[in-house]
This record gives sequence, C-alpha cells and structure tokens, in this order.
Amino acid sequence: MVKRARLSYDSVQPAERAAARAVRIANMGDREGLFAEVEEATPTLRRYARALCVMAGSIAADDLVQSALDNAAAAIRERRLGGDEAGAARLCAYRALTSAAREELSGFESAKLSARHPAIAQGLASLPFEERAAILLVALEGFSYAAAAEIAGTRRETLVARLMRARAALSTLGLRPPGPSDGQRRAGGHLRLVK
Amino acid sequence: MGTSPALDEADLHALVDNEISGEERRRVEDHLASCPEDAALVEGWRRQHAALRAAFEPVAQERPPLSLRNAAQRNAATSAPPIESGAIHWGRPSNSTRSLRRSEEGPAGCQAQALASTIGALLVGAAIAGAAVFVLTRPSVVSPAAPELSYVERADLAYHTYVFDPRPVEFGAAQKSELLDALRVRLGFARAPDLSSLDLKLLGARVAPGLRGPAGLLIYERADLSARVALYYEKAESIGVPRFAPRVDQALTAIEWRAAGYDFVLIGPLGPEAMQQAAERAAAEMVTPAPAQ
Repeated sequence: MVKRARLSYDSVQPAERAAARAVRIANMGDREGLFAEVEEATPTLRRYARALCVMAGSIAADDLVQSALDNAAAAIRERRLGGDEAGAARLCAYRALTSAAREELSGFESAKLSARHPAIAQGLASLPFEERAAILLVALEGFSYAAAAEIAGTRRETLVARLMRARAALSTLGLRPPGPSDGQRRAGGHLRLVK
Repeated sequence: MGTSPALDEADLHALVDNEISGEERRRVEDHLASCPEDAALVEGWRRQHAALRAAFEPVAQERPPLSLRNAAQRNAATSAPPIESGAIHWGRPSNSTRSLRRSEEGPAGCQAQALASTIGALLVGAAIAGAAVFVLTRPSVVSPAAPELSYVERADLAYHTYVFDPRPVEFGAAQKSELLDALRVRLGFARAPDLSSLDLKLLGARVAPGLRGPAGLLIYERADLSARVALYYEKAESIGVPRFAPRVDQALTAIEWRAAGYDFVLIGPLGPEAMQQAAERAAAEMVTPAPAQ
C-alpha cells in the first residue's frame, strides 16, 4: 500500500544546490531571492534544530523550524533584515530558530538521553544550551565565528569561549572515528543479551 | 596543553574552524607537527565534527515535510498565513484558529464572520485539545520504535477498504437524516459537511472500525467521478497524536485535525491545495452547532 516517492532532492549535492541557489537569487528581485534563500536553508535548519533539540525530539525541532521560517519571512516582508545581501535571510532564520529554541528548551537543560542514542547526541544533550548552540553553529553548520556570534546574539569572544567549553566537555566522550553506519540506528539495537 | 607561549588554545580552535589562514595557519600547523599532545587535541575536535555530521547530516538529506516546504514563500504574500499544508503541529491551539482563518475570508462575508465567532466560542468552550493539521505526501520516516497505529493510518485503511467497494456507504446522501442519526448513535456526534462548492458531492456514509471504537466515514465524489475523498472521524478521548509520520499511501493526501474531542482525517487523491480547502470547509462545518432536530 505504501508507495515511496523517489526524492530527486537526494541526488543533488550540497555544492550544486548552493550554486543553483546563487543563480536563483541573482535572477530574482531582492525579496524573492531572500525568500528563496530561506527556503533553500530549510534542510540545514532542520539539521541544526534536530541537533539543538536532541533531547526534545523531531516534532519539537520541526515546530521550531516552522516558527523560524515564519519569523524570517516576516522579517523579509517587513524589511527588517538589515540588508539584502546574500546570507542575511539565512542568518535571520538561524537566529530566530536559536532564539525560539532557547525559550522552548529552558526546561530541558542538561537532559540525559538513553544509551540508544549515539554518544555524540548524549554529549550534546548534556551541554548547556548556549554551548550546544555554539558548537553546532560552528562545527555542524559551518558558520564563521562572527556569523555564529550574531546568530547566538552574543560577542565573538563569548561565542569562542562557549565553543571551547563545549569541545572540552565533548572530549570526555571518547569518540572513536565515525564508521559508515553512524547516524543510523544499529540493526537489532532494541535487542538485549539475556543470557 | 603544551602550547608555546605565542600560541594559545584559541589558535588551535581557529585552525580547526578555518578562522585563520596564510602565515598564521602555517605557524599553528608547524606547532602541531612538533607537539603531539596538541595534535591529539585537534584530532579529537575534528572527530567531534565528524561525529556530529554523521549523526545529523541525514536530517539535511531528508526531504523536508510539506509544512516546511515553501513555507517562506507561502508567508510572503500575507501576514496571516493560510492553513499550513503539511504542518505537523500536533495539539497547538494557535494553529486551530489559523487553520480556520481562511474561512473568514471567503465570499460568505457576514455569515462567515458569524461562523468564525461561533467556532472561536466553541474552541474555548469545548476545551478543544487543538487542531493538528498535516498533509502527508512524503515517504515515511524510519521510526526508532514501532508506533501505535495512528488515526491517519486507520483512515487510510478505511479509505482503501470501503471507498472503492461496490457498496461503499451504508446510507446514501438521499437518506441524510438516517445517515446522521446512525452516526450520532454510534459516535455521539454527526455532521455531513457540504463540500459541493468544492466539486465534492456527498455520496453517503458508513460506520467503520476505528482505532478504539467505531469511526464515521463520509465519502464524497467529484462530479466527473474522477476521484473520491473520505472524511474519517473518531472520538479522540485517550489516544495521543502519533509521534512519527503515519504511513499512508503516497498517492493520497491526508489532512488531520482535532476538534471537540474528535479526530478528523480528510483523505483522498486530490492535490494538497484542493484537499486543504476541503479540509477547511469540513473543519468549519464540523464545529458549527447541530441543526435543530
């Protein structure tokens, strides 16, 4: 009964997507280009939200993405971006997401995840929110220190200090080099040895 | 850390994060070549990056749910966003009013406004758990645990079981009062929304097995007989909304919402936009007071 649609999306490499985005943005009026930029950022916003809300689950994460997209769209519409340069709308969406997550996750600080989650997810969940955001913005999303600081709403020095603390905390996890199956749930992970 | 006096830990981080280049970068790299302790530190951080990417990159490769596709563009035109096709916003009352907002803007004018205020009163008075609207046309996500069957999946099952049956309904549209009586007796609630303005004519209704009890199934048909759409509803008193995307036929669009203690699912082969309009109309009619008996 279930038919699985082929995702043409999957076959497109990130670099090609970025190039296509640049062309699209160049071909559009400023605002349309900014809306397109936010739309193009949706997959990475979801990635960031999922990691940032690692203890809250995918539904909460997608809710935050939705809220961030709404916020970014409103900012574009009301010309509150502070500039139409490429990247401004994406930055705005990340900023809105981080701000919404900070509020939503105030009750989740330093949560403990079950052992079924990968070690890195457990490590992330144990970090204070600001440190988690800092390492994710830089290490996962690839933002520069300046952009990450702007998204987090803080100074560059503070951002770097948070990043350093996050790395120090995660260093205790004893991560092994990632294998090809990391990120997927281990087959039979629900089984336990009974004898 | 065995860094030289001219080098501090921030320089090592800057190297890992590509914040330095040229001469400065070479200086840090030279230091690492002669300091295995710091080199191991840097290697550990790079390992963290790789672990983060391995754990979360698959999310970026997924196709975003419909609610998040074109969200910015949808919001571009109006400050009051329409019903969010694909929004997986379970149990958020704010979305219930948003999802119904389009009906206020319809051609019915004053009548629609009155309807909207009635809906508003009902939303508060009946302590509606909230509307959850989502359109599912994406492949189902691999769930970490086998979730309980959801209303959407049950509606999908009912659709495939009955809609193309030689006798799809127990009560035809011509027997509307019997139809409503039967549904009211079995489900405690009955309405038969008029979707004719959306080219969906009521064919009739039947009682179908639900998740925890009987469910109502209203079947509509396009005038040219090209498609049938079903409106499934069941009392939703104790069952939570699914935590994972329900598995439904990818050729169908399903829109789910909750109101007045019932879970409603509109399911059919029309495009998301047409289904959305039909769902809005049905949602509005479903919460209007029962006609006088």
